[in-house]
Amino acid sequence: MAETAGRAMGLGLGTGLAALGTGIGLGFIFGKTIEAVSRQPELKSEIQSIQWLGFALTEATVFYGFIAGLIAFFV
Amino acid sequence: MTRKLSRTSSRISLTVWLSLVSLLALPAAAFASEEGGLDPAAEFALPPWISIDLFGIDMSINKAVFYILLAAVLTVVVVTLLARRMTVRVNSKPQTIVEIGYSLMKDNITDGNLDPKMAAKWFPFLGTLFLFIWFSNMVGYLPLPTNTEHTLAVGGVEIPSFALYAATANISVPLVLSLVVWFSYHIEGIRAKGLFKYIRSWVPAGVDGFMVGPILAIETLSHLVRILSLSLRLYANILAGHLLLLFMAGGLVVLLEMGFLGSTILGLATGTLAVAFFLFEIGLVATLQAFIFATLSAIYLDGAVAEEH
Repeated sequence: MAETAGRAMGLGLGTGLAALGTGIGLGFIFGKTIEAVSRQPELKSEIQSIQWLGFALTEATVFYGFIAGLIAFFV
Repeated sequence: MTRKLSRTSSRISLTVWLSLVSLLALPAAAFASEEGGLDPAAEFALPPWISIDLFGIDMSINKAVFYILLAAVLTVVVVTLLARRMTVRVNSKPQTIVEIGYSLMKDNITDGNLDPKMAAKWFPFLGTLFLFIWFSNMVGYLPLPTNTEHTLAVGGVEIPSFALYAATANISVPLVLSLVVWFSYHIEGIRAKGLFKYIRSWVPAGVDGFMVGPILAIETLSHLVRILSLSLRLYANILAGHLLLLFMAGGLVVLLEMGFLGSTILGLATGTLAVAFFLFEIGLVATLQAFIFATLSAIYLDGAVAEEH
């Protein structure tokens, strides 16, 4: 029982803390994109394509935490 | 005119919403009916359809195999048919869509990251990689009758109940794709520079003396971690998307079955969230992850043959 609870806490805490960092990172990316586009609107499409690359790379970090949590939970 | 249009479009969006909710509730119902509980992880159970045991290795044909084949067949058939239909007329809709897709693969993924000679050589591989992952992701969001553990009576005929699954939501498929990319770029690097010069090129220019050893160790580690990060990124994105959808849509079914007002309202709320996540997944994540995988492959290939690190 206690072991299951520990595993569940591992899954929840791991994913949750990973989501915390990812949220901050995504905020940075979109904030900086807005800043960059408002400074140089003519580079909008170029900046946006880099933005999506950064978005996907940053977003993936939450899933590393999630996978580690799943491993803690099931294995 | 605009009012009429907006009324039509709101009616269309309502229809789309309702059909999406029922579409999502369809596979979730299979999991929800089990003992009244909900088990989204049941999606990832792989009961064998045709058991094949090869020297103790389980090679059974199952749902995952079916989905890989489906994605592969779709990649080949759809692209071949579309390529046959291409004309020089610019105003047809399929033409425009295909041109956008081609330009994404050719200009953004390949030419944007590789020099012209390498781009010409690797465009077929990177394009196919993108299309295969994209089809696999997109097929994964269609409920197909593949859940053989439960059956559903349609017009007196028992068919397997509907389920969501994607080949890329199974770690094996992204891992194999990553390994193919990993070996490709190392072999390409060794062919371009020779084994020792290639390994030396991992160390940034300007570093020499006693720092070469530790930096080489770190770079070796980073090359090994690339296998993990490339495969896990795709796998975990699709897996988490599917779990989220099944959890929300399954929540709708379970909460509606409870049958009192509060649970119905809560169920409709999770159903709406499921639709929102569904649109997010098919609109952004499926394409973006295929794009990222192919782009990173191109970047790795370029890094292996580039003169300056």
